[in-house]
Amino acid sequence: MKPFEFINHTADVGIKARGSTLTELFENAARGMFAVIAREGCDAKGSKAEKSIEVCKNSDNFEETLVGWLSELLYIFNREKIYFNDFKILSLNDGGIKAEATGVNIDLYQSSLYTEIKAVTFHNLKIEEDVDGFSCTIIFDV
Amino acid sequence: MAQAFEGKLEKLDHFRWKIPQTYKSGMKVPGLIYANESLLPGILNDKALEQVTNVAYLPGIVKYSLAMPDIHWGYGFSIGGVAATDPENQGVISPGGVGYDINCGVRLVRSDLVLEDLRHRLEALVNSLFNSIPSGVGSSGDIRASARDEEEIFLKGAGWAIKKGYGAKEDLEFTEDKGSIEGADPSKVSKRAYERGKDQSGTLGSGNHFLEIQVVDEIYDERKASAFGLFKGQVTMMIHSGSRGLGYQICDDYVKSMVNCLGKYGINVPDRQLACAPVHSPEGKAYLGGMKCAANYAWTNRQCLMHLARNVFEKVFNKSWNALGLRLVYDVAHNIAKMEKHKSEGKEKLLCVHRKGATRAFPPGHPDLPGPYKEAGQPVLIPGDMGTFSYVLAGSNGSMEETFGSTCHGAGRRLSRSSAIKACHGRQIDKELFNKSGIIVRSKTRGALAEEAPEAYKNVNEVVDVVHGAGLSTKVARMRPLGVIKG
Repeated sequence: MKPFEFINHTADVGIKARGSTLTELFENAARGMFAVIAREGCDAKGSKAEKSIEVCKNSDNFEETLVGWLSELLYIFNREKIYFNDFKILSLNDGGIKAEATGVNIDLYQSSLYTEIKAVTFHNLKIEEDVDGFSCTIIFDV
Repeated sequence: MAQAFEGKLEKLDHFRWKIPQTYKSGMKVPGLIYANESLLPGILNDKALEQVTNVAYLPGIVKYSLAMPDIHWGYGFSIGGVAATDPENQGVISPGGVGYDINCGVRLVRSDLVLEDLRHRLEALVNSLFNSIPSGVGSSGDIRASARDEEEIFLKGAGWAIKKGYGAKEDLEFTEDKGSIEGADPSKVSKRAYERGKDQSGTLGSGNHFLEIQVVDEIYDERKASAFGLFKGQVTMMIHSGSRGLGYQICDDYVKSMVNCLGKYGINVPDRQLACAPVHSPEGKAYLGGMKCAANYAWTNRQCLMHLARNVFEKVFNKSWNALGLRLVYDVAHNIAKMEKHKSEGKEKLLCVHRKGATRAFPPGHPDLPGPYKEAGQPVLIPGDMGTFSYVLAGSNGSMEETFGSTCHGAGRRLSRSSAIKACHGRQIDKELFNKSGIIVRSKTRGALAEEAPEAYKNVNEVVDVVHGAGLSTKVARMRPLGVIKG
């Protein structure tokens, strides 16, 4: 099972993320999003950075929580210039998500990024469950 | 994989196809697609037409869910989509109908220079522009705005830049809405959005944004071209950018808030990205107030970019920009929602017109046009891909009758980004463009060149021929690229 793969979309970029659990799906979706930003990987050799992330939701709608989680990571990437490459979800439930993300501090000009993601969209977003676990297609506006 | 559209499409004439309202039970109006026989297969092989039918679900939508010939699959709305809603009839406003890059748009600058003047200076000019204009992922610039400045930018738009000395007063005359839309409400901009907008004025961004040096290579309508200050052989400059992180954040904030209030207003849309709220609701008004701040920010941004570019020309040619004749032809928004007066059911009404990848195209005589363009109509700026042509069109009466004063906005993508990369595998697009056409290309982001390669786009000539043939806007001039800076 691939944790994520790129899918075809005419104007923007999509990934299909998978996970044997919902938690793993969320972690892999985050990996996929940062792979969209840097493709083969970020060659920056910045110092290590760690962040605690919390998105509060009062909803049993995990698609909304997923968009909230990815948007939060994207926001921190833009604000603090941290390229995240590892994610550990501590809790994920109707109340939202708590996680720890680690990455490197980067210089946007020096680290040869691939593309800018403007936002995480809700377009046709649906988390599906089958015998292998969970999967979801996410479209990013680039 | 994108799947072909399986619904029924009725051919009305050479340029118009209709999706009947009966295609899906939730459609409130039919779909109307502007295309020709050769563009249609590409459109059918994309998910864009399903999106046109989804937009037809919007409460209060008037006449048609419209698609321009450059239509392609976006998110929520298709790109190249136009929808007008009637606020007095439960009409809604949808942030997804504007897009994340609020007031992404194009400006065209003319000059007194001709091709010969660039013979020995083109490379120096392009390199200097590339070094002077901040571009790329998350780019920030030298034009700094304090928190108070930022609020003034939200309220006054490009006028702020003029006050700071980044241009001349007459630039505003030739900008859609004079570079500032009324009703911006800075209190509707989140702290996060403020923060993201802070250091990005005067930055190009990445993706399909660009600054291009061009030469006018064909004139179709001498009178209109002359009214716009254009002539064959002339050097022009085109700038394509938007509201940067500020707009993305405002759209993001309001899509999320509207996803949460769909139930409250009993709105049923087939895709959550079409989340919307009645124009008159607190959520609708808040979004409009915030969106207008981003729109004004984008006009300021393009004004600042033009200012930076004029400075470069001054250095390279050792003359003032005024002496070089670097005047703004026009600046258009192509991702925006506007309250505009249009005829609906025989009456003039104030409608909320969403243009997502579509350009306003007001006809001759329209009161919103600057004096010198009253007779010619509004200039419509259509960037092509970096290997072919861009166009200047003029708005015509057909647009007011059929498309709420709108027309196409560009070539429109044909290939997905990943297909474009596959098609370009192992190729060096910048070298190819130089060797084949002498076009100098510079880019900061690795992805931009392959993803934006000429074959990723539809044939812009055909797109323009459709809107010309359908009477939405008329051809005035065509420009060929000489040098391109990609974001």
